[in-house]
Amino acid sequence: MIGSTRTLAILAALLVGSTSAALAQSSEVNVYSYREPGLIQPLLDSFAEQTGIKANVLFAGDGLIERVEAEGELSPVDVILTVDIGNLASAKDKGVSQPIGAAALERVPAEYRDPEGNWVALSLRARVFYASKDRVTETALSYEDIAGPAWKGRLCTRPGDHVYNIGLVANRIAVWGLDKTRDWLGKVRDNLAFPPNGNDRAQVKSILEGTCDLAIGNTYYMGLMLNNEAEPEQKDWAAAARIVYPDAEGAGTQVNVSGAILAKYAPNKDNGEKLIEFLLSDDAQQIYANGNYEYPVVPGVNPTELVMSWGTLNPDKTPLTEVAAHRAEAAALVDELKFNEGAQN
Amino acid sequence: MNSSSTRVRRTRRAAIVQTAIESRRSRTGTGRPLPVAAYVLVLIMGLPILWLGWAAIGSALGGDNGLAASMLPTALRETAVLMAWVGLTTGVLGLFSAWLVTHFDFPGRRILEWALILPLAVPTYLAAYSYVEFLDFTGPVQQLVRLLTGATTLQDYWFPTIKSPSGAAFVLSMVLYPYVYAACRTFFLMQSASIDSAARTLGANGWRTFFSVTLPLSRPAIVVGVTLAMMEVVNDLGAVQYFGVNSLTAVIYTTWINRSNFGGAAQLAVTIVLVIALLIFAEQRARQNRVYATHRDSTVPAAHLRLGRGAGWLATAFCSTLLFLGFGLPFGELTFLASRSITPATLAMTAAAGLTTLELAMSGAVVAVGIGLLAAKLSAPRSSGSARGAIRVATLGYAIPGTVLALGLLQPLGQADLWFNRLTMWLAQWRPGLILSGSIAALLYVYAIRFLALSHSTLDAAMRRRGDTMLDAGRVLGVKGFALLWRIDLPTLSPALLAAGTLVFVEIVKELPATLLLRPLGVETLATLVYARANVSLFAEASLPALGIVVVGLIPVLLSTHFSQRRS
Repeated sequence: MIGSTRTLAILAALLVGSTSAALAQSSEVNVYSYREPGLIQPLLDSFAEQTGIKANVLFAGDGLIERVEAEGELSPVDVILTVDIGNLASAKDKGVSQPIGAAALERVPAEYRDPEGNWVALSLRARVFYASKDRVTETALSYEDIAGPAWKGRLCTRPGDHVYNIGLVANRIAVWGLDKTRDWLGKVRDNLAFPPNGNDRAQVKSILEGTCDLAIGNTYYMGLMLNNEAEPEQKDWAAAARIVYPDAEGAGTQVNVSGAILAKYAPNKDNGEKLIEFLLSDDAQQIYANGNYEYPVVPGVNPTELVMSWGTLNPDKTPLTEVAAHRAEAAALVDELKFNEGAQN
Repeated sequence: MNSSSTRVRRTRRAAIVQTAIESRRSRTGTGRPLPVAAYVLVLIMGLPILWLGWAAIGSALGGDNGLAASMLPTALRETAVLMAWVGLTTGVLGLFSAWLVTHFDFPGRRILEWALILPLAVPTYLAAYSYVEFLDFTGPVQQLVRLLTGATTLQDYWFPTIKSPSGAAFVLSMVLYPYVYAACRTFFLMQSASIDSAARTLGANGWRTFFSVTLPLSRPAIVVGVTLAMMEVVNDLGAVQYFGVNSLTAVIYTTWINRSNFGGAAQLAVTIVLVIALLIFAEQRARQNRVYATHRDSTVPAAHLRLGRGAGWLATAFCSTLLFLGFGLPFGELTFLASRSITPATLAMTAAAGLTTLELAMSGAVVAVGIGLLAAKLSAPRSSGSARGAIRVATLGYAIPGTVLALGLLQPLGQADLWFNRLTMWLAQWRPGLILSGSIAALLYVYAIRFLALSHSTLDAAMRRRGDTMLDAGRVLGVKGFALLWRIDLPTLSPALLAAGTLVFVEIVKELPATLLLRPLGVETLATLVYARANVSLFAEASLPALGIVVVGLIPVLLSTHFSQRRS
């Protein structure tokens, strides 16, 4: 009986020819990427050229870590490329990652990688102020400044519970503590020009519209908008604003990261580690960070000239694991203050 | 041969046939299908809700209900306000336009009468994206305003904000009013003109007739239409996110995606199911009063009262404005944007997503129609009351938002894969990997739940029209079981099967929230492609696939018009 079931199962296996079996070849590496194909594919191609290891990549959207968690031990993925410290930390929290055995991890400053090596940053993403060229005269602003009465009805940002803003608030909690951050976030909320909606680019568009004078957004959108040939009107949005690095002369500007995770059940662990090693090499860093106007994470590798023309980034040095530890508090704070409902007084 | 002996012989023959059928039925068991099959179907279709209920209770007992408690009041309020506005607006507009086209004659009425349902081809999220493109600061309207007034920023002039709760209510109403329009129109067409005539004979004018006769009588039809419109509001994810409305569905999505809090999302999802249950309950209550509403007197044909010149053109203007806002504007905007963005890259992107969508929608239609046929057989008039009740419950998936269904399927499918892999490992040292959760099986499952009502109701109606005579004839001739299905059901029901398949196909093409959450990695449909681009402010790039969705959405609208015109 068992024998015939066994034959059946083997027959079925031959018939189905399942994808995971096909993916699990030894000269290959399986990548789930939250990052767009235009950025990742060239890197994977040159990785294959150098090492002979072919990368199978699946481009996915929101909820990638949750997906890998649901796949459990059956997951075919080796390396997860994603953005935001929240995703990186949650991969470790959910137990879908494992320590990366790659010497290149040492090239990355300690604050931008997991102490146990479960994830490593590949690029820095600064969250900054976009100030109206016409209506804002200040050239240096601190985080405290935008909570002041001078900014009443002039600020705008995407929803407070978006991961980018959660990252910012968690960073403030790590730096200031919960009470000061609550006070600050409440004042920022009351300075909002309208209830948060849309994404970072939409806020810059509001500056052009004149409905908002100072938007919170990630720097690389400036580059993406300035060079958007598909929708050239976005060049006008970008042209209406200039970037101000918050706390540039103080403790530094909050940075988030994009990064890599080695999956816990990686069928091709060695190849996965080789890929991460490759992504931290100078050449790959150049391509990876510059393709999206971000900052390379390896010291000594420069961002593009366009990015450097916006000013000098002085990144806040709070370790990201510490920031990640405050994410739940940050989300609760956003809820408690009803940040997404806009100004209250 | 006298007539009474013929009658006797006929009666006897009928009795013999009847006995033959009964005896066959009792042997083959096809006549009164065991309700067990119906219950199994309920379980399969209800799995996501049961799982979510379980998860919600589990997390609440575990003391983790802070999130739901803090998010719920706002989410409930914003959802309720949106539903109320859309309900009111669609109710008024749908009823009034249906009343106009069925009771009066005015320029363009014949075209407007069918064209007024065209907005159904535009999914809510596409309406949102195209309205924003049109009315936003950089859109043509405000550009014109600035050109005429010399203004440069929004500080120089006032313009309503489209990305707001009221903007959402307006845009959703413009594409959802056809639900009320269609329900009321059908109702008015069935309705005898005698009541109206009586009211007029008693001296009531047009408006008085409308308010004291038409409005009270058509309440059940309005409720049906408004309920459907409100269900669409609850189901919508793309539009509310775009407009910045913190509705229940949007909050569930962020709770799961941005906060990875499954328990909290499950609690919110259970709340949404309760809201829907309340809606269905209200709708059922309203339907109970249908007794007086179905009065029909075929001897008095519906009369189209010719409106005077001014009133006639006013009616034309009203109906065309409605049609323009619900269909003309979004369709025009999409066509304009698409024509501007035709490049090899967008064409390739659209073709790839289109092909995936086509495969998915076709397989989904086959599955949903197959299960729909089974359900229709199980709920045939001869089956037991409990089986029919069970099928009614099994088809309720149409009312549950796609986000909720997807959330409820994620974990059980993953678990099923795990168990199956352990089994195959134990039996044959074979790991097939993710069979359900990593493949389109998950999508086919969620589509079947959500669109079973569509295929079931179409097939059920067709089976009732067809009657059982042919099946009985087949049984007498010794055909049974599967052969009965193959040789009699399929040929006689083929038009209905095709119709049901088309309806499901189109709904899958338009479906966004469930596809978004459950699609296998790397799978991009037209809808998810448009959603992803719109959310990074690159909607114009995705206008071509968006236009594709609307064009596909037109198919059932045009088909139904074609058939109804042929019938009349």
